[in-house]
Amino acid sequence: MKNMVCKIGNAFKELGHAFVHGDIWVKLSAIIMGAGYFGRKQFVRGVLMTVLEVGVIASIAKVFAPYMAKLNTLGTVQREEIFDILTMKKTVNDYDNSLLILLYGIIGILIVVAFIALYIGNMRAVYRLQKMQENGEHINSFKDDIASFKNENFHITLLTLPSLGVILINVIPIIFMICIAFTNYDENHQPPTYLFTWVGIKNFIALFTNSQTITFGYAFVRVLAWTLIWAVVATATTFLGGILLAQFINHEHTHFKGMWRTLFVITIGIPQFVTLLLISKMFGDYGIVNTWCANVGILDFFKNIGLLSQGAQCIPFLSQPGWAHVTIILVNIWVGVPYQMLVATGILMNIPTDQIESAKIDGANKFQTFWKITMPYVLFITGPSLIQSVIQNINNFNVIYLLTSTYQTTNMAMAGSNAKEVDLLVTWLFTLTNDYSNFKMASVIGIVTFVICAALSLLTFSRMIGGDKEEVYR
Amino acid sequence: MKKTIKSIGRHIFLAALAFVWLIPIFWLIVTTFSTQKGINTNHFFPEHWTLANYHQLFFETDAAANFPAWFKNSMIIGVCCCIISSMFVIMTAYAFSCIRFKGRKQLMSFSLILGMFPGVLSMIAMYFVLKLMGLTDSIVGLIIVYSGASGLGYLILKGFFDTIPTSLHEAAKLEGASEATIFAKIVVPLSKPMIVYTVINSFLNPWMDFMMARLMIKSKDAADWTMAIGLFNLLQRALVNQYFAIFCCGGLMVAVPISILFIVMQKFYVEGVTGGAVKG
Repeated sequence: MKNMVCKIGNAFKELGHAFVHGDIWVKLSAIIMGAGYFGRKQFVRGVLMTVLEVGVIASIAKVFAPYMAKLNTLGTVQREEIFDILTMKKTVNDYDNSLLILLYGIIGILIVVAFIALYIGNMRAVYRLQKMQENGEHINSFKDDIASFKNENFHITLLTLPSLGVILINVIPIIFMICIAFTNYDENHQPPTYLFTWVGIKNFIALFTNSQTITFGYAFVRVLAWTLIWAVVATATTFLGGILLAQFINHEHTHFKGMWRTLFVITIGIPQFVTLLLISKMFGDYGIVNTWCANVGILDFFKNIGLLSQGAQCIPFLSQPGWAHVTIILVNIWVGVPYQMLVATGILMNIPTDQIESAKIDGANKFQTFWKITMPYVLFITGPSLIQSVIQNINNFNVIYLLTSTYQTTNMAMAGSNAKEVDLLVTWLFTLTNDYSNFKMASVIGIVTFVICAALSLLTFSRMIGGDKEEVYR
Repeated sequence: MKKTIKSIGRHIFLAALAFVWLIPIFWLIVTTFSTQKGINTNHFFPEHWTLANYHQLFFETDAAANFPAWFKNSMIIGVCCCIISSMFVIMTAYAFSCIRFKGRKQLMSFSLILGMFPGVLSMIAMYFVLKLMGLTDSIVGLIIVYSGASGLGYLILKGFFDTIPTSLHEAAKLEGASEATIFAKIVVPLSKPMIVYTVINSFLNPWMDFMMARLMIKSKDAADWTMAIGLFNLLQRALVNQYFAIFCCGGLMVAVPISILFIVMQKFYVEGVTGGAVKG
């Protein structure tokens, strides 16, 4: 952070330096950004720079400034329709749209920041050109500039489009949603008919409080607990299951290895919205699994050992808390193990066999070799990706949503905040926006999810980028 | 003798496991031939067999089920996203792996942090933006949403590019090749298996996605839907008793090409999913 401030300070210092020591062309560049290039006969570049400058300033003044001015209140004039009896037409007043103000305001600010950075960079570049001319160095022609994008500036060619995409699809929306968390945007404040405005951290307080009217605190604790339990258990079961299955298939006495692998891989090939919906119907209250269980006597067995009340008609695989949680974990094993099996196969093929051989000679049995040699090796390699898959499971929307789309909660306190016992944070977030238009609370939940994921990622962060492991395999 | 019994036991166990894993798929397949339109809760196999469901799926579209349109929509989205996303991923991965430029580490850290936000969060805002542009309920909007941020998924491919020896780059540079030539003529051809993996993944992402489509498509007209939304809708309470067999047909039609693709590409896939991990 301190580094950042230093760098920004330095940039401004250099800007001042360039302006004071620059010649007439450099000084002129402070107003007309292309001037410095005209002075060094880089006409095309000069024209492009000036056009860019005019374009940006015009768009800010014309499009963004009116919205940015209203950012502090997010609009004050509510939409009103007046029915004119003479013309028999409705007239609408010049109303404010909070959504547009926030969106254009954010984009405007980003453009201004980018423009300032460009401006400083431009001044420095122009000043550098002056120095180069004074020293009699070769100054690039426009042709050279173009060629440089295939060579020393090739990374700019490569990264421009992807970065633009990420900024449009990821960065701006994320900033926007973080802002929404501090407003009262919900079903009662929907633009264009109504305005919404800033409310500070009220929504965050609501998420952690519990009262007669607000039950978000109650639901949040339960959803969070289930999310964490789910993430850990789902990751652990599929991981262990995958390794065991891969071990089993790769065993020297197993024939038709390829065939067995293929049989399991088929299940990955079917989209989850097909398999999971199908399974949710199989395990439904009147589904085929319940019919089997009743026929075979499992239903009566559960009644006898007290897991179900005597009057129960069916096993509530996906319709009661507890039962649903277990079913979801079991189905997730079905979903996740084949994939983990593929991963583990790849890793097990690379396992150094000399260790296992020597363990065998020393008289270790199979369980010992598996737990003492295979597992530590696999864990060592997949450690970081394990935490990654915990994070993926925290955000595992498909399994939960598709399996429990018909689940209805009987807990009024949960229902009061539109949550269900089986919801993860992300599915709760999704329901709040998609069905109830409660954008403010959805954003708050999104931010909390991010904080959890970020905290977990910090554990792996240093290993993935901080360390200099990239070049080990070269 | 003891060995044979053990071996037989091992294979029986595997067969039992495979059986469990394949039951839902068997059920999917046999239900497509059922004369009963709703869910048959009493029998696994249909009582009477027919091919009428397939005929209805392809040729008798109605307000609820319009499979040809769904397939077309999903296909267009899948192919466009496949092209755009794979290009973005390859370009980003190469830039981060093979070129050392100012701000590289900062950009990589930034992309990691971005990846930690739940996807739904940014998608809600994207929905507002697309609505302003009038692109909700349209294929173009979905293509933008699916492929725009795909550059963030560069990690696995970068891990692979990292293993290509730098001496190759240097040799090419000495011969006078530009960075662009090295990229197109040396690195990309060398990484064929991983690029195949990337391309398949970029196609499957939108093809298999449910969440974004559900958020972005609010249209009541079945012709605007993608496969995921259409099939999901067939299982709503009001429709499931009429359309369950159709759902199964549709599901099978979606699954067959992908399953074949997966079986063929298994090897690449193993390399792909482990590639990133090994270099972790």
